[in-house]
Amino acid sequence: MTTIRVLIADDQMMVRQGFTVLLNAEPDMEVVGQAVDGADAIAQVAELAPDVVLMDIRMPGVGGIEATRRLTEAADTTVKILVLTTFDLDEYVYEALRAGASGFLLKDASADELAHAVRVVAAGDALLAPNITKRLIGEFSRVTAAAPRGPLRARAGDLTERETEVLTLIAQGLSNAEIAARLVVAEQTVKTHVSRILFKLGLRDRTQAAVFAYETGLVRPSAF
Amino acid sequence: MSRVKGMTGGRIADRLAGGLRTLPRTLGEALRAVPGILREDLWTVARDPLPRMRWLGRLPHGHVVLFAVLMAWLSMAQFQEPARPGTSQDPVPLIGLVVLEALAVQLALTRPIPAWWLSTAMLLVTALGVDDRVPAYVLYPWNYGQLALHTAVLLLLALRVRPRIAAEALLLTLLVGVVTAALATRPHTDGLDEAVVSFTTAVVVGAALRGRRVARTRLVEQEELTAEERARRTLLEERNRIARELHDVVAHHMSVISIQAQVAPHLAENPSDELRENLAGIRQNAVEALAELRRVLGVLRSEDALADGARHAPQPTLDRLDELVGTVRGTGITILTDVTGERRALPPGVELSAFRIVQEALSNVMRHAPGAEARVELGYRRHGLTVRVVNTTPDRPAPPSPGAGHGLLGMRERAAMLGGELTTGPTPDGGYEVIAVLPTDHPVPSAAVPETAEDPV
Repeated sequence: MTTIRVLIADDQMMVRQGFTVLLNAEPDMEVVGQAVDGADAIAQVAELAPDVVLMDIRMPGVGGIEATRRLTEAADTTVKILVLTTFDLDEYVYEALRAGASGFLLKDASADELAHAVRVVAAGDALLAPNITKRLIGEFSRVTAAAPRGPLRARAGDLTERETEVLTLIAQGLSNAEIAARLVVAEQTVKTHVSRILFKLGLRDRTQAAVFAYETGLVRPSAF
Repeated sequence: MSRVKGMTGGRIADRLAGGLRTLPRTLGEALRAVPGILREDLWTVARDPLPRMRWLGRLPHGHVVLFAVLMAWLSMAQFQEPARPGTSQDPVPLIGLVVLEALAVQLALTRPIPAWWLSTAMLLVTALGVDDRVPAYVLYPWNYGQLALHTAVLLLLALRVRPRIAAEALLLTLLVGVVTAALATRPHTDGLDEAVVSFTTAVVVGAALRGRRVARTRLVEQEELTAEERARRTLLEERNRIARELHDVVAHHMSVISIQAQVAPHLAENPSDELRENLAGIRQNAVEALAELRRVLGVLRSEDALADGARHAPQPTLDRLDELVGTVRGTGITILTDVTGERRALPPGVELSAFRIVQEALSNVMRHAPGAEARVELGYRRHGLTVRVVNTTPDRPAPPSPGAGHGLLGMRERAAMLGGELTTGPTPDGGYEVIAVLPTDHPVPSAAVPETAEDPV
């Protein structure tokens, strides 16, 4: 089993140390560094190349959203960002997802939830907390959808019919295995579809794919 | 009343008949109500002093007195005219009446309605008294002096009372005139036309001036009300903002507690079940408290909270004072900072409030004192913190800004919330200062802080 290398970025020492203890207690995880703000996080990612960054949204100086944007815009990184928030799943969390975060977590999550979130984000084959994520994106994509999204729609035209179908299912929060069962194909086939979708759309993971699907109107937020 | 149901024509006729029946009844009622209305309107001795004029002060009051004396003299002179050439009049009983009339004008300055009664009564009595002795060329029932005096009384009345009452007084006066003229025992020069013109003019002019004054007063009242409303709303918004920030700080602490409670068992070797249970209880409580806090924050969160983007950054503490001062310096203002006493971490609420007060005060300096130098002083005392922000005289007048006063309100609220005080005001040298004294609930043990001589707090 490969170890997931984690970097923790939070301005509060207690939070950093706490998460470090909790994650190091997991056999498949290792906390490789702690950053005190966004700028520090960017520098340490470059140096340590972690798999996952736990990123606090609110930090002095370069905040979590800005740091996430800069980290995921860099073409050569594969680092996944898991955003931490004290508050509710609000516009800021959605902004972090748009900026490239792969998932989010409330700071008071239990140790199990924390470890699970890191694993899911590192593996990248499912949405983290699919129902909540779906709802969050559904709710806030309407707020931001006012911005013109012409180029995005154009890119959606490059997808094949099957790929569009898979994208819709991703946006609904289904995992690869669930999509395979729904479409009656092998899971490997689904994985191939997902990779092609991400490549064609220039997206880095399925969370971004879900955001894309909602913002282009491919998926309409249902009543919840 | 015959009423045929279902027949429209019948119903209309019915209604018409009803209308016709009610008409005379209402008129009758109205007529019967007249004495009541008059008694209610005019039977009063209430004080209603003529207000001091904004521009003229008491000058009009003085003129009224002078006018009354002159007109009384004129009136007297007219009565002195011998009724028949070669004879002379005995003025004695008349003098009293004329003086009373002049006094009525004085009385009208404070009690217009009783003054009108007095004046009218005098008009009636004098007219009846002089009927047989004034020369034929003198106006009857009232001579010029009397007309002038009563005109003054009516004008002063109309300035103060509702137009309806003034009109009633006018009509009653003219009624008295008609009656006395009718009772005259010998021919006179008719002065009723002059009376009608003069009195009516007085009432119309007075009522118009009063109407204008009332409208202006209402407008001022309305404006005051609006300003009050605005101030109250601003206060509530400020409180809302403060509450939001404080809940925010508390929520952060709660989430750290929830994390620490989870971490603690990992730090002990072989933690006992009791310890685990206890820590789980702490965590459970913290998580529940957080859930409640999130709900409260959801209520407190307003549209502007999202707009200000503050939630990207943690709530500020005094550690970020230098950053703040640096930002303000960047706008071209000279700021000196001065910290006295041992700098230490204060309760988060105090740190946050102190930071916001400095921020607000500096933003006021930028807005209201262009070109002034500012000075920020923090005094760490044993039982609290003093914050002083003072600026020198601005070198040019400040542009008007609509948000004036808003900042002071917020600063005051923040200080009051901590049990502290905020004083603001101009300094002797033409600047402005803001001083906040913020107590900390937990005084630092004296051993921990080096005592300084000027630290008696």
